[in-house]
Amino acid sequence: MTLQYLRLFRWHVLRYIAQHRLLALLNVLSVALGVAVYLAIQIANHSANRAFAASVDLVAGKAELQITAPVGGLRDDVLPAVTQHAGIKAATPLVRGLVTLPDLPGEYLQILGIDVFTNEPFRTFELSDFGAQGSFDVQGWLGDPRAIALSEEFARLHKLAAGDTLRAQVNGREHTLRIAFLMRGGAGGTPDEHFAAMDIGWAQELFGRRGMLGAIQLQLTDKAKRDEIIASLRPLVPPDAGIASPAQRNQQIENMLGGFQLNLTAMSLVSLLVGMFLIYNTVSASVVRRRREIGILRSLGVTRNEVRGLFLGEAIALGILGVLVGCIGGVLLAQVLVGTVAKTISSLYVLLSVRETALTPWMFASAAVLGVLSVVVAAWLPAAAAAKMKPAGALHAGAVVEEAQTLSPAWFWFGLLCIFAAGVASYLALTTGPPWIGFGAAFFVLVGFSFIVPSVTSRFSAIASRVLSGAMRRVGKALLEPTLAAGNLSRSLVRNSVTIAALAAAVAMTIGVSVMVFSFRKTVEVWLDQTLAADLFIAPGSNEMAGASGFMPPEAIRYLEAHPSVAAVDTFRELNLPVRDRTVIVAVVRGTDRRNVQFLYGDGAAIMQRFYAEPCVIVSESFTRRHRMKDGDLLELPTPQGPRQFPIAGTFYDYTRDQGIVYMSQATFLPIWNDDRVHSVAVYLHPGGSPADVASAFRTEMSAAGQFITFSNRELRTRIFEIFDQTFAVTYVLRTIAVIVAIIGICLTLTTLITERTRELAVLRAIGGSAAQLRKLLLWESGMIGLLAALVGLASGVCLSFVLTGVINRAFFGWTIQLAFPWSSLAFTPVWIVAAGIIAGVFPAWRAGRLALAGALRTE
Amino acid sequence: MTVLFTAACCLAGDWKLAEAGWRYEFPRDHSIHEEFKTEWWYFTGNLADSSGRRFGYQLTFFRHGVRHPAARDPEMSRFVVGDLKFSHFTVTDVAGRQFQFQQKTSRGAFGEAGFNDGERIAWIQSWTLRRDRDDVFHLSADMPDAAIELQLRGSKLPVIHGEDGISRKAASEGHASHYYSMTRLETSGEVRIGGRSFQVTGQSWFDHEWATNQLAPGQIGWDWLSVQFDDNTELMLYQMRLENGMSDPSSSGTIISPDGSSMHLTRASYTMKPTRFWKSKRTGAQYPIAWQVEVPGQRMELTVTTPVEDQELALLPLAYWEGAVEVEGTRDGKPLRGRGYLELTGYGAPLRELSR
Repeated sequence: MTLQYLRLFRWHVLRYIAQHRLLALLNVLSVALGVAVYLAIQIANHSANRAFAASVDLVAGKAELQITAPVGGLRDDVLPAVTQHAGIKAATPLVRGLVTLPDLPGEYLQILGIDVFTNEPFRTFELSDFGAQGSFDVQGWLGDPRAIALSEEFARLHKLAAGDTLRAQVNGREHTLRIAFLMRGGAGGTPDEHFAAMDIGWAQELFGRRGMLGAIQLQLTDKAKRDEIIASLRPLVPPDAGIASPAQRNQQIENMLGGFQLNLTAMSLVSLLVGMFLIYNTVSASVVRRRREIGILRSLGVTRNEVRGLFLGEAIALGILGVLVGCIGGVLLAQVLVGTVAKTISSLYVLLSVRETALTPWMFASAAVLGVLSVVVAAWLPAAAAAKMKPAGALHAGAVVEEAQTLSPAWFWFGLLCIFAAGVASYLALTTGPPWIGFGAAFFVLVGFSFIVPSVTSRFSAIASRVLSGAMRRVGKALLEPTLAAGNLSRSLVRNSVTIAALAAAVAMTIGVSVMVFSFRKTVEVWLDQTLAADLFIAPGSNEMAGASGFMPPEAIRYLEAHPSVAAVDTFRELNLPVRDRTVIVAVVRGTDRRNVQFLYGDGAAIMQRFYAEPCVIVSESFTRRHRMKDGDLLELPTPQGPRQFPIAGTFYDYTRDQGIVYMSQATFLPIWNDDRVHSVAVYLHPGGSPADVASAFRTEMSAAGQFITFSNRELRTRIFEIFDQTFAVTYVLRTIAVIVAIIGICLTLTTLITERTRELAVLRAIGGSAAQLRKLLLWESGMIGLLAALVGLASGVCLSFVLTGVINRAFFGWTIQLAFPWSSLAFTPVWIVAAGIIAGVFPAWRAGRLALAGALRTE
Repeated sequence: MTVLFTAACCLAGDWKLAEAGWRYEFPRDHSIHEEFKTEWWYFTGNLADSSGRRFGYQLTFFRHGVRHPAARDPEMSRFVVGDLKFSHFTVTDVAGRQFQFQQKTSRGAFGEAGFNDGERIAWIQSWTLRRDRDDVFHLSADMPDAAIELQLRGSKLPVIHGEDGISRKAASEGHASHYYSMTRLETSGEVRIGGRSFQVTGQSWFDHEWATNQLAPGQIGWDWLSVQFDDNTELMLYQMRLENGMSDPSSSGTIISPDGSSMHLTRASYTMKPTRFWKSKRTGAQYPIAWQVEVPGQRMELTVTTPVEDQELALLPLAYWEGAVEVEGTRDGKPLRGRGYLELTGYGAPLRELSR
């Protein structure tokens, strides 16, 4: 059996593939493309996680427990008590901060202030003098306020040598650092090159954090007593300080990135889906083309299962090749994507630098399984159809047309059922969750419309034939070809439907994603108009690159408040508070009531009045969704006075953070946290005040205090949209790929259709049709295929856009997006799809015109 | 006398140099001289309990200036280091042929280490040097298997080494230190070894030295010897060894008479010849642990031996040998016995500045 199968496979399949190399190549490529995109996204996600984990490891070293500073900071005088605490084997203090480097535009360093007297047991990197390994000038380390240790990679990258100085900005102020030592990664792998180290004392001075620590790292005498030790350390540190293992902290960040990364994975699966249509298409084409062969095999005693096996085997063979090519392509594509993904994560979530892509066997395994599985699923139906063929019917050439015409009404109803299922899945995604069910809804929309295609096609064919033949009677023979083309559509109904469905799915995806992005942009635009009211925004220079890391010097704020053109100054402070396994972003705002917050429910003015008057918070829409909370609920936050509950006074629209954001007024914040540092300010001018003048006056006045970025209202808006477009860059790439796969699909289908219809076309020629007429006929057919695909695709795309904007976005990010349609580009879609269809038909039509009549008619 | 730093010279900056004409004043000079870069308080002693069981000990507090006092700002981060503080503690159990040592370093950010708080002269965590109003020094130190708790009372006035207030380490200008010793401190107290406690008495030697930039290039180490003789006299000798195998002509010594008066010995007036070597298994260094010493002008001929070979402080990267020794010989033909301490540096890796 096995041997026979192999022999059959060789004669039947391999020979066929050898004869139709182009077709085989396209199949391989379509699988490869899907696998490559999926794999590339997996690699990019994993590399980002790995890079993040590596940087956590580098900082945490061999710590078993870490006390992390709360918002108000961790006073360094708790250190002796913690060090001498029962159960603590070793303790070392840590200060962290970020500097930007004006000499190396776009570059930054994350500086770790370490205590060489106590951190030896914790370090995973080595410190040494520049050049000489093993020697370490401890006096230079302790004595030079500017001395830092740089990673070998960073030094090499920027050609820095011992003794070089670097200008560095901290909170907008400029300092000078001297490169004196090297930091070498240990066996645990190369650390992020952006890490640097200096003495903890000088780090406190550099970052203006005298008396404050970023963390205390601990090793325990008995790890089993971890929980007891955590409990007994609690009273020694502020109530809102974190005491946890470094791994737990890592987990919090990974949870934060999870949603974003799942979204990317889902997008990458779409290209695999489009690839499946293509496979389905070509396998069924080859089944039809090889009817005679199948008939012969069956008459010779080959079983149905073996026939199915042959076709599945063919698909799988091509699929495996596709997986192999896709794996290589995926690794290459990942090199491009990883930068984009890291950039997006850095601007939205956490500062990250990914230097190398991380590959794991399971990624390749999952890509291979998905690739092969998608091929099997796609090839199953045509292979089953081949198995079902009756030997006698298959051998009779004339039977082709009749059988292929059968339209099963079940398909239509199944299609409707799928669309209904999409509705149910949407409802579930929004109510009970989990959010990924939303992707199920999108899938059902695509599948549902695909099943409706045959009915639509046959109806179109019937109506168009009738109308056109009616018209032909009046107009004459000019309409001969379109009339025949319309009739032909339903004659190879299944084949045509598959082509139309594949193209429609790609069109739907393009439309769905375009509408989603367009609506999103439009919504953000409207939202910005309403909320971005200030005339000028100012922040320390480092914040542009590294998020909220630097603070505004108080004198800068005083200067602005005293400026005659300035009407009011709002301040903004952002902090991350750990709440169980999540991180909650709290923004502390000091505002006049000019800050325009748009609330979902309730009287906005009353809510804002309460917000400024009493201890409470307002939260963003995505926050309520993510944390399943609503107005009036109590939000518990860790504070220096222990956990405290704040009532939620209102829910507002916000599109800046998918993990949600909590606003607290400075009046509520200050008495509890006693920390008045701010990350940025928004300046409102008196009527007639010029933002540019105030900005330049500010820069001149404050040049000694440091470097600041200033944005006028319009500049900030532009900047926000730059970030927005960056976020969707990956989406655009995937969308384009889907369309390319679909257009290849049309070209392929038309080519195979013509091969299949050789006999029919030859008959047409024989009864007097000219080569030109044949070409026209075929171009009309492909144009009609394009038109149908565009129409179904539009309908399906609009439904998909409902799912993407209304379901997936809300379920994942909790954003309410007002649906808006890019009418001009929607209207243009049928035009370019029909054009693409016709262009795809040019080559097949040209070939049809050159048919060798005698050979083609031999069977008649 | 002990010098642990050489490369310190590059960073000397505005530190004060040891110059001729220093006027010593006590008890003022017992405490810190922070305008000089390096300073140490060095106690060694030979003790015994009532049954005659003998012990040796060393307790040294080192200060190494990282930032000049003028550059310090009390408002700055507590972690900013002004002085590097470290300390060495050893106990020799002669009967048990045991030697234990430990080093402590500390940032002193929380006052757990420091100098001169009015009561204590120097301390690192539980290791303390204190001088009370009655001019008694109190030493206290512990390590996992040994500890001392001692009181030391001087029976002679401090002896100032060298000439004109400075002890030269090299011919060139500035390579010198201010250096005095209390050569006979009557000592009593407690030594604990491995859970057993011994009430001990004996004699200790206290060296206090401060300087900036004292070693000259080309010096690779030194041999130093202190002896307390039975006839109530004491001897201190050192030789700076050079790369070329010779000893520096600026090396010198001091001899102290029963009344406390002292005599400076120039390099020409004594000889030191190693007679036996011991090789450390831990560091591979070969130490000359027995010596033949002659001071012709005093008609002194001495043999220096040690009851415990392994008295090496195997610290990285600076290992040295510092141990209790026995001295026998003659002066003016009459037999002479004594006990003391021998210090041998620069026999392992070439001396560099202190590193971790």
